[in-house]
Amino acid sequence: MLQLTNVSKSFQQRGIVLNRLDLAVSEGDSVSISGPSGSGKTTLLNIIGLLDRPDSGEVIFRGRPLLDFDHEASALYRNRNIGFVFQDHLLLPYLTVKENILLPLLASKTDDTVYKEKVDDSMTMMELIGISDIAGKYPYQISGGEAQRATLVRALVNKPSLLLADEPTGSLDKHNADTLGDLLMQLNADYGIAIILATHSQELAAKMKVRFLLSEGKLVPADDRKQ
Amino acid sequence: MTGNNKGMKLSLLHIIRRSFTYHLRDIVYQVLIIIVLTSVVTGSLMTGKSVRKSLRVTSLEKLGNTGILISSGIRYFDPSLVDRVAEKAGTDCTGVLELDGYCQNFATQQTAPGVKIFAVNDDFFSFQGNDTVRIPKGEVAINEQLASYLALTPGDELIIRFNSISELPADAPFAPGDAKTGSVVLTVSSILKPAASGNFSLAVSQITPLNIFVSRSDLTDAEGKIPQINRLLMSRQHGPTAVEAYNSLAAVIKPGDTGLSLRQVPATGGYELVSDRIFIDQPLADELAALNIPSYPAITYLANSITLGDRLTPYSFVSGLDPALYNDIPKGNGIVINEWLANDLGAAEGDTLTLAWYSPDPLNRLMEEKADFIVTRIVQMKGIWADSLLMPEFPGIAGSVSCSAWDAGTEINMDLIRDKDEEYWNRYAGTPKAFINYEKGREIWGNNYGPATSMRFAADATEPALVANLSGFPDPSKSGFVVSDLTEVSVKAAREGVDFSSLFLSLGFFMILSAIILLILIVSAFYESRKGQVKTLFALGFSNRIIEKLLFLESGLIALAGTIPGAFAGVLFNLVIIKALNSVWQGAVQTDALTSGFDTVSLATGFASSLVVIIILLKIRSGSFLKKLSQPETGITKVPSARRNVIVALIFLAVTIILAVLSVTLTGYSTDLSYAAGIMTFATFILLIRQYFLGRKASSRYSFSNTGHISKSYYLFNSSHAIAPVIFLAAGLFAVVITGANKMSINNNMLERSGGTGGFLLWGETPLPVPGNLTDSHGKITYGLDDPSLNGLAIVQAKRTSGNDASCLNLNHIVSPPLLGVDAAEFIRRGSFSFATTMKGIEGTNPWQTLESRPSDTVIYGLKIKPGDTLAIRAESGRIINLVISAGLNSSVFQGFVLIGTDNFNRFFPSVSGSQVFLADGDAASTEQYISTLSERLKVYGAHFEPAADRLASFFVVTNTYLRVFTILSGIGMILGVAGLGLILLRNFNRRRRDFGLMVAEGYSVKTIRRIVLREHILILFAGIVTGFVSAMVATRPSIMGDTGLPWLTITVMIILVIITGLTALILSVRGISRENLIARIRKE
Repeated sequence: MLQLTNVSKSFQQRGIVLNRLDLAVSEGDSVSISGPSGSGKTTLLNIIGLLDRPDSGEVIFRGRPLLDFDHEASALYRNRNIGFVFQDHLLLPYLTVKENILLPLLASKTDDTVYKEKVDDSMTMMELIGISDIAGKYPYQISGGEAQRATLVRALVNKPSLLLADEPTGSLDKHNADTLGDLLMQLNADYGIAIILATHSQELAAKMKVRFLLSEGKLVPADDRKQ
Repeated sequence: MTGNNKGMKLSLLHIIRRSFTYHLRDIVYQVLIIIVLTSVVTGSLMTGKSVRKSLRVTSLEKLGNTGILISSGIRYFDPSLVDRVAEKAGTDCTGVLELDGYCQNFATQQTAPGVKIFAVNDDFFSFQGNDTVRIPKGEVAINEQLASYLALTPGDELIIRFNSISELPADAPFAPGDAKTGSVVLTVSSILKPAASGNFSLAVSQITPLNIFVSRSDLTDAEGKIPQINRLLMSRQHGPTAVEAYNSLAAVIKPGDTGLSLRQVPATGGYELVSDRIFIDQPLADELAALNIPSYPAITYLANSITLGDRLTPYSFVSGLDPALYNDIPKGNGIVINEWLANDLGAAEGDTLTLAWYSPDPLNRLMEEKADFIVTRIVQMKGIWADSLLMPEFPGIAGSVSCSAWDAGTEINMDLIRDKDEEYWNRYAGTPKAFINYEKGREIWGNNYGPATSMRFAADATEPALVANLSGFPDPSKSGFVVSDLTEVSVKAAREGVDFSSLFLSLGFFMILSAIILLILIVSAFYESRKGQVKTLFALGFSNRIIEKLLFLESGLIALAGTIPGAFAGVLFNLVIIKALNSVWQGAVQTDALTSGFDTVSLATGFASSLVVIIILLKIRSGSFLKKLSQPETGITKVPSARRNVIVALIFLAVTIILAVLSVTLTGYSTDLSYAAGIMTFATFILLIRQYFLGRKASSRYSFSNTGHISKSYYLFNSSHAIAPVIFLAAGLFAVVITGANKMSINNNMLERSGGTGGFLLWGETPLPVPGNLTDSHGKITYGLDDPSLNGLAIVQAKRTSGNDASCLNLNHIVSPPLLGVDAAEFIRRGSFSFATTMKGIEGTNPWQTLESRPSDTVIYGLKIKPGDTLAIRAESGRIINLVISAGLNSSVFQGFVLIGTDNFNRFFPSVSGSQVFLADGDAASTEQYISTLSERLKVYGAHFEPAADRLASFFVVTNTYLRVFTILSGIGMILGVAGLGLILLRNFNRRRRDFGLMVAEGYSVKTIRRIVLREHILILFAGIVTGFVSAMVATRPSIMGDTGLPWLTITVMIILVIITGLTALILSVRGISRENLIARIRKE
């Protein structure tokens, strides 16, 4: 599904962050990427989500070279295929939880039938993960765990094939972190959504099928490294 | 949308509505700034409209029902013409005698100079639509302005003095020397309000006139003759066009209307046309010559003496006759004399006689000239040679009982008059004693008043044939008549006058700029605070286009929310400006009669232009914001070189010192050099302040142990965040102080001969012309200026025409300015005045020299003309003269006048008799004595003398008022801009929230962080003020050291307000830094 080849990225003050990095992710895979702060995990997710561009290399998604995409195509790619979950929930403060969840539907044209269908699905999802009762609340009225779950539902509202999660449990307590981790795995299992997860949490990483460590700009299998 | 409205589809507008509610405070700030911006723009536009409308309304109110004016300029015509024109044109008409003069409150003796006297008939006020106003005999009506000026109430007595009303120009040869002015004492019967035509005026000016309305029958001359009139007013309602009016006039005019009369000459049996003006001017002579019936000019002149050897015959009339009518008239220098003269001189044919006569020089001073003539024939005193009608009806001569009773307007040596001369006078009256060829007579006696004293017709021309031929004669355009559509002229003058819209847009420039900068700052801060939100939208798959659309819609709605009330707030702005112009800023407009008005076009233009500008600004800002966000992160942050900065700063400092020293030593260039030094000081200060922040790099210590270092460390990488507001503050203050220093006042250069005063001590004006020459011995004796204490006094005098003031004091666009006939040779001799611009082709020539050959200009302000352009004016005869503007004077006492040479002036305006403008020079210590003496001696002419410097300074009041307006509006703009410092603080804080979050984590209190932020921004505030103030002081050193000074009070108040506003904004903003938002940041880390 996703193939990164020889991807490099450097910053003037941080030096080389990604160094000829390769990564292959198949449909339904779940991949964790661990590494110290500043190792380039977020940069890697941003490149996959086309929020940033590598200095060199190739990124292929379902056979299409992503780096050829312009702004419009990139936005469409994100909207249709990618779900983002960030460490900060990044819910718009002036919209209710439900409106935040439905926000991605506004990014592309959606006819009324599909729209209604997706609204129903999101309601179901909200019920499933236990946040249906906060649908009409504003972000400042809910807890961090609830916000992060709302973010997850928002990431899934367009039924993406790839979920990019950047430290999704970073600002959560253990209970909420565990719940969210389980949710992610359940989504992966039930809907076949591929997950790429950047995390410091060994526990969360352990739940993924494939685990990498980002070190010196390259991905190395986390288990190999341990060995 | 809430959890309950399940079916409702999310839309951009819904998101915007929610966003507005959430960001209400930020939105309100933006809307308020937009309101200010729009109100200044709309208000300025509306002020322009209001001023123009006021000018138009005032002009039309002054005109009353008058639409078309038929003016005979400085000549007069018969009142019966009014009825004929009215009948022909089929419209209401009235005749008026308009006179310039002055008046005095009889009781208080207080004088009002420059009053307009309207001698009217009973029908004048009913013509103007006021049937109730009547002026009983012996009484006058005055307008409120004059009543207020002289504290007059009904029943008070008023002395009115005006120029003599005579067809014969006072300066014409042999015009009587007395009765140059007339005066009456009348009782004030009523004080007229503007609505009752009190402010009636034919002039184009916003200034309220001082008016007197008097019955024409109260201005009778010594013989009880009611004066003629010089203005014919035609009704505006259903009135004719100017062309139709002219055609009506041309159709009904008769020779008698302009003082021409046809009479039979018994001596010849033929007829002749003579003029009350004595001389028939050239255009009329030419017109007569073009008629079907042949006419022959004749000129008869007074010879002071006719001599042959040692025998002299005094004061004899000599005629120049056309040989076509008088066969015996010789050519060239031949002369026919009568028997009486031949006997008196013992002359025989072939003898050479010498004729002496007075001829006017360019200043109309009579100089004696002589010429020799050879006697060709001696004729008997009978038939055509005994023609007493050849002598013109000189008022002081014709009808005199004896020669000794003559008032020839010139010196008559009574000792020369013998009994036989008296006998001749008694027997033959003014019958000429000698006859020369007309061409010779025209050559030596023809003058600016005309080439002939009569036009004679052949003996076979019958009266009916002549009357028929003279139908439609004279051509009005050749006899001084000018027809103008006053309504159109006034409306056009108002429309093309000073453009207050652009003026106030310029004066409010700093306010507009401040509002724009403030808006950009607010919007930037607003976007900055929403960076995370927009990033989220990107991540959710929103394209740039949709996000742009979202931001554009937001901007558009904010702009609309601000511009709509802003446009209406413009009405208020206009109201305040007009009120100020009518009161504290009256110096700029010279009237308190401006009215503010609502104008839909200005409202719409102000609204639309502000909306477009704001949307463009917001669009650009949102575009750059999105571009920055969507671009790949490079992480590049360059640190500027402190070493390079300090080197540049030191170089700038050195240049500043050099310039400052040069500005002190090279006094001729001190203004320019000081300004340059001020600019360099500004730049040096900015570099030094930058060095303060960059200097941190040189230090090896980088620690949070000193809070000052924390600030410097941030600005080491982001010096522009501190420098930009410093530059803004400093530039604002610099601009305001510099503008204040531009206040114009009299300096020593202006008192020099090359300056605006021409080196003259005094400027004087008289509403009534002062006849004669004040500089020659005769004039000095006449006017009592031969006092030894006035020995050093030198006077330059000039004639003037009436016209509309074209100086900066008149807001209207003037096309008919007053002309001044000046003695250019005197200015060349003195080296007086200097020129700002000269026409191409006369480089290297003193422009004064062109005045004798062609007229020159000094007025550009009101006329919108420049050297090389042509100004069409009407000469007294009505002929259009194209004046070529050869040069424009630097700012001078002549502002408002067009200057032409004396010769040209006398040629174009021969009937203007006497001078009305005076420049005087002498011992500066005696200035007050000169003023009091001249004012006293010329009191009868209403003289007003003042220091020439005061006259020059009176024009500065307009410029200075505008400068004051600019300073005040800019000051308000600055204060508005300084309020933006609070936003800069918040922006800088937001950019460093991460750093401060870490500091809190390290144990710093929020109070400490607030103190750090506040301190560094107070530093910015004062760095800006000090930079602006010090550099402005350096730049304006010559003004500070000189007489001009600076508006210290305004500057001090402004600086205090800037400090108060700045500190308030900073303190209020710093309170927005809460523990919560710092803790939230730490959590994220």
